[in-house]
Order: sequence, then C-alpha cells, then structure tokens
Amino acid sequence: VSFPTIEFAAFFVVVFTLSWALMPHPRAWRPFILVASYVFYGWVDWRWVLLLIASSLVNTVAAQVIARTPSQQTRKRALIAAIAFDLGLLCVFKYLGFFVTEMDDALSSVGLGSPLPLVQIVLPIGISFFTFQAITYVVDVYRGDTRAASLGDVAILQAFFPHLVAGPIVRANELLPQLRTPRDPREVLAGPGLFLIAGGLVKKTVVADELARNVVDPVFNDPGAHSGLEVMLAIYGFAAQIYCDFSGYTDMAIGLALLLGFVLPQNFNRPYLAVSLQDFWRRWHMTLSRWLRDYLYIPLGGNRKGRRRTYANLMLTMLLGGLWHGAAWTFLIWGGIHGAALSAERWARERWQGFRMPTWAAWLITFHVVCLAWVFFRSPDLSTAFGMLGQVFAGGPSPLVTFPMVFLTLAAIAVQAVPTRFWERGEAWLVTRPVAAQGVALGLLIVAADAAVGQEGVAPFIYFQF
Amino acid sequence: MPPRFRKDLAMPAGRVLGVIVIALLVATLFNSEAIVRAGESMERGPTRDVVLSIARPLDDVAGAVGLHLPREGLDLAFGQEDKTAEGTELEEGSTAILRPNRRKRDQQSFVQPTPDDPVEVFVTGDSQAEFIGQLLTDALPDDLFDVEIAARNSTGLTNPEFFNWEINAQQEIAAREPDAVIMVIGGNDGFNVLVGDQLYGWQDPEWLTEYARRAAVVMRALGAGERPVYWVPPPTARDEEQNGIYEAQNRAVEDAAAAVPGARYVDIFNTINDGEYSDELTIDGDRVLARQPDGIHFTREGAEVPVRLILRAMARDYEPLRGAAP
Repeated sequence: VSFPTIEFAAFFVVVFTLSWALMPHPRAWRPFILVASYVFYGWVDWRWVLLLIASSLVNTVAAQVIARTPSQQTRKRALIAAIAFDLGLLCVFKYLGFFVTEMDDALSSVGLGSPLPLVQIVLPIGISFFTFQAITYVVDVYRGDTRAASLGDVAILQAFFPHLVAGPIVRANELLPQLRTPRDPREVLAGPGLFLIAGGLVKKTVVADELARNVVDPVFNDPGAHSGLEVMLAIYGFAAQIYCDFSGYTDMAIGLALLLGFVLPQNFNRPYLAVSLQDFWRRWHMTLSRWLRDYLYIPLGGNRKGRRRTYANLMLTMLLGGLWHGAAWTFLIWGGIHGAALSAERWARERWQGFRMPTWAAWLITFHVVCLAWVFFRSPDLSTAFGMLGQVFAGGPSPLVTFPMVFLTLAAIAVQAVPTRFWERGEAWLVTRPVAAQGVALGLLIVAADAAVGQEGVAPFIYFQF
Repeated sequence: MPPRFRKDLAMPAGRVLGVIVIALLVATLFNSEAIVRAGESMERGPTRDVVLSIARPLDDVAGAVGLHLPREGLDLAFGQEDKTAEGTELEEGSTAILRPNRRKRDQQSFVQPTPDDPVEVFVTGDSQAEFIGQLLTDALPDDLFDVEIAARNSTGLTNPEFFNWEINAQQEIAAREPDAVIMVIGGNDGFNVLVGDQLYGWQDPEWLTEYARRAAVVMRALGAGERPVYWVPPPTARDEEQNGIYEAQNRAVEDAAAAVPGARYVDIFNTINDGEYSDELTIDGDRVLARQPDGIHFTREGAEVPVRLILRAMARDYEPLRGAAP
C-alpha cells in the first residue's frame, strides 16, 4: 500500500489507535505491529511476506550463532552465510534477469546460440531496502555494535511498515532500543510528525508529479523532438522531481513513525545546497550513503591503503551504489560519474591544498555534476541519455518551458535554503492550535494535494522500483 | 535535522488521533467525488465494495449541500479538466452507430506528411500506450511525424464513472488537433456494463454489443474519418481468464472499427507469437524479454513488436511508410 491512498489512510487510523492502546502491553503490541506491517506489505501480494519472514528467520539464526559461539571461525561462517543469503535474494530477484539477458547477448554475438531461457521475475517491492537492513543487523552483531535480538524483534526491525518499502535504512541500534521501551502516549512528537507528512504530500503531489507529467517525462521520452531549453528544464526538473519524490516519501515515513512514537534516522538534509560531492553524499539518501561507507567503503580499506587504492575504493563503492538501484548500464554510469567526481575532488584537494574555490562556484559545479549524473539515472537507456546531452544546445520553440514549471523547479531547489529553525517554529505553532483547527487545515491540504494530481491519481514513487 | 524530542512539539496521542480523524473527515467530505472515482478505479473485490458503499451516499449528501464547490475551484486553479459526466453517449446511446457505413467502403485518404508539414500523431490510451508511444516516436521518421503521448493509467471503456473516454477524447482532440491517433486500450476492461436497467458480464452477447458501441463512440470522439484512428487492443496475457475477456472485447472492437470510417483495428492479440503468450519474443533474430512481470504490459524492448504492426497499418494510409515497416 502506498502512503497517499484511501486504503492506507484507513489502515493508519486503525493501526495508530490500536498501537497506542496496546503500547503499555509489549507482549500484545509486538505481534500486533508485526502483523500490521505484514498486512501493509502483503496487501498487493501476500507471497512477498513469506520472503520477508524467511529473511528475518535466516538473519536471526545467523546473528544468534554469531553472538553465542566463542569460535571466531564459526562466527565468520555464520556471517558469510547470512550475507550470502541476503545478497542471493537480491541477485535472484533483481539481477538474474539482467545477467541472463546480457549473457544471452554475449553468447549470441559469438554464435553460441541461445541456451538460456529469458524469464521475467517479479521484483518484490522494497527488497533492496530490507536486505540491506538485514546485512546491517548481522554485521553489527558480528562487530559487537549491537546485541543479537529475538526473532520477533528482528522481524519488527525489518518489517516496521513506515520504513519497509523505501527506507530510511535503519540500523538495529537505532530502532531496537525504541522497540524495547514502550513509548509515552502523552508525548507524541506531533509537530514534526504532521509537518513531515503534510510536507511530503505536497512535495510529491504538487511538485514531483507535476514536473514529471508536464516536462520531465515528455522530454526524456523523445529528446530529439525538444529544444535545448526544454531539455535543460527537464534535467533541472528531474533533479527537483526526484528530490521531492524520494524525500517526500521518506518525510512521510519518518512522520508516520513519529506519530507512532518512533524516531527514524534522517534521510535528506537539503542536498542541493551541497558545495562538494562529498558534501552531497552527506546530505542525499543519507542512510544509504552511510551504509555504503560503513559496510563497503571502509571494509574495502577506505582511505587507509594509499591514494590509488582510495580512488579505486571510492569508484567501486559508487559503482555498486549505482547497481543497488538496478541492473542497468545507466545506473552503473550514474555511480561511475559520482565515483569519478568524488575521486577527482579528493585529488584536487590534495593537489592544491591552499586553494579555496568561491562557495558559489563550488555549489554550481557540484549541482551540475549531480544533474549530469541524473540524466543517466532517469534515462531508460544510454541512447536516450546521450540524446538528452546532445540536444542541450539545440534551438527551436519551447512550449514546455512555462512559468509554473520553471517556478516549481526553482522553488523545489530554493526552498532547501530556508533555515531549519523556520520549519521548527511552524511545527511549534501548529501543535498549539486547537485540535479542530489542525484537523481542518490538514484535511484541506489533502484535498488540495488530490486536486493537484487530478483524476490520474498519485504516480508511484520512483524508489518503489528499487 | 533529525527530529529530536522537544516538549513544545509534542501532543498526547488522543489529541493526535482527533487531528487525524478530523483531517480525514474534512478530506472525505470535500473530496467525496474523487473518492468515488478512486473506488471505481479499484479492482473488483471487498475493498472496492466498502469504499464505494461509504463514498457514494456521502457524495450524494456532500453534493446536495454544496461541498463539491471548493474542490471544483481547486481543480480549476490546477487546470484539471473533469473526465466524468452523466448522460454521455458512452454510457447510454443507440447501437445504430454500429451499422455499416457507406463511407467506410470508400477508399479514404489523408493528408500526406512533408518536412514542412509533418503529421502530428497522438498516442493515447491506458498504461500500455506509454512504451508503445515511446517506441513509435523512435520508429517514425523524425522529419515527417511528430508524436505526442498521453497515457491514462488504469482507464478503459467499461468504467466511465472513473474515467469517461468520450469526454477525454473530445478534450484531447480539441486541444491537440492531431492528424492521426493511435489508441492503445483494453487492458483494464471487463467490468459489467449497464444496458437499460440490466447488468451484463463479458460473457454475455449484450456486453459485446455494448462494448462495440462504446468503442465506436470513442472512435468518433477521436475524430475517426477526419483522421485515421488506429485502435490497438491488448495483446495476449499470461492469465487465461484475462485472455477470455480480451478475446471477447477484441471481437467487439473489430466490429466497431468495421462500422466507423477512418477507424483501423490493429490486431496485436492474434498476430504476436500467433496469439500465444510468452515472456520473450524474437526481434530480428535477437531474443528479448518482451513482457513485464505482470504478464500484460510490454517491456520497452518488447514494445517494438506491436509498434511494427502499427507501422504496417499506418503504411496503408501514409505513403512514406510503405516499405519502411519491417
């Protein structure tokens, strides 16, 4: 179930009420929230729930073995087995089709016929998120960063519905302690919770879907038919769209969790204000970037094994980060651009240590490198991506460049410069209003958001496909 | 910043529940029409029944006391056009539209494209129209054909309370004035239809006649006759029951296309892989994964196959495409 739907609204009212009613009774609350999360996940296809249960079961057993056995070799084997299982799930559901197709192409090109059947595998929604979360848990237990938990706790950690489908990717030591202590129903962080939900809804419906429908999709569908101005607006528009789409979803996820009494980690921190690629990755999809740093880049050696190895590690981490999004050359190039830019940035910093670029120039370069990478990320294939770039200087009429679309694009980027304290003041003001006033305001905002998307309804969130 | 606990930002859970319930009530009352439409668009089943059984009476009350007005104002502000209405020909009309038309027997000809005056092709329909439109854009000569795509997801002809294709076709044609239309639709149909006071299911002969009538109404609304309208039905699906529906409705569409001047039925149901469903297809000797996991939609690569059939149909009307379609 997607958040901005009638089904989810009804589901959440029931879950919110029962969750707070059962909160003082952990033995009842835990199975309740687990079943609720499974209902949420299995709404479209209940078989996916079995996959989730299998993942929780395998990772719980592995973590228990790691925690209980004194033998380092057994601990290591259990860790490897769990990671192999988790990555195996990803490989089968996400990469097998791509691998078979590429293999088939390669074999055909050398005249070896077509021995492999091409099969279409249904990608369980959120699989990339819950498998990464599972890896985090077993590795943290192995490292001693978190205690091994019961099957019930691990299952809730993985399946807790606000973060299940598209993150944030939560670490065990961020959520498990909260699950073990009943939340206080007298002090629900409603200010930020309601604000995040309302803000996320507006980002998705008013900005992301509007930009997608009116500029981004038409231009990326047929770059050759559009002027350079339209292509540029589509590129900047997609930067705004994907930010509002993805951060809108995680804002809602964090807001819903807050209303249930749980704090999830922040996932975005005004990413388009970044003045370097390193800065960007500290602000964009923060829970994925810290995952890549802590579970890939640092284990690969990070920056501890010399300059060349550091660049290689950066590149490998970002390439795998690209592949995490999907098995396609476009994602690989997206990761490659980020890896190369991060390496180049590091090299330049070491080469010209005393030099400080003006902030505006650093921002401009960073933003455009990010936008260049987005062209590959958004394009369905490489020819479209190069078609977009080749069309940037083309002339011709630009009927898609309209004031509302330019305004939405600029607003989505510029609003990130609004200081955090401004939003916090708004949250504090909101919670002091009468309940009826808050409810009416939120209700009218929902009506406006629905009017913005029109009869076609809210488009699926971009990150649902990952 | 990550949310941190501050007493001045907190409220008791009971008050939060009050806010949520009031918000949803306000949204339901002011949005009752949209909720009915959303219910209409859902797959048949208990969820749809519950939503519609609550939303319909609420909508009647809300409409009677003028609660639709704020939403209508917002729709106007956002430039949204209404896609449903009562009393349209799509919902109720004569089957005379299906009578063989004398003009249909005449050889129709349409203005041929030139580099100075390319043919504007409008690709529309349900979600299947998206990839077909994109591939068609790549396949048609750039200098002679301009393609616009507007896919309306989850829509069909048997659910006009959710989306009325007659109204939408009139709006789109008035706004875009295309020279040719590709209509890719049928994947979301199979709902019971009301004829007179009687409901008919897809296995009833009355359903077939009604579906053919509705297809003919939409073909006319798309301007068939003034321009060619290529009607592309769904291909075979992985699900056999779905195929039964598609087979029935495709027969109906074929009848409609035979009666409406300018309408061309592009049979992708019986021709692709001889009407047998397969995840993979062979294009120019290369095997491609042609279908999405749902077993209905084409992949981007697979959409090449129906696009070739559409090009072949278009080649009969447009000289420059003759010999070009593989």
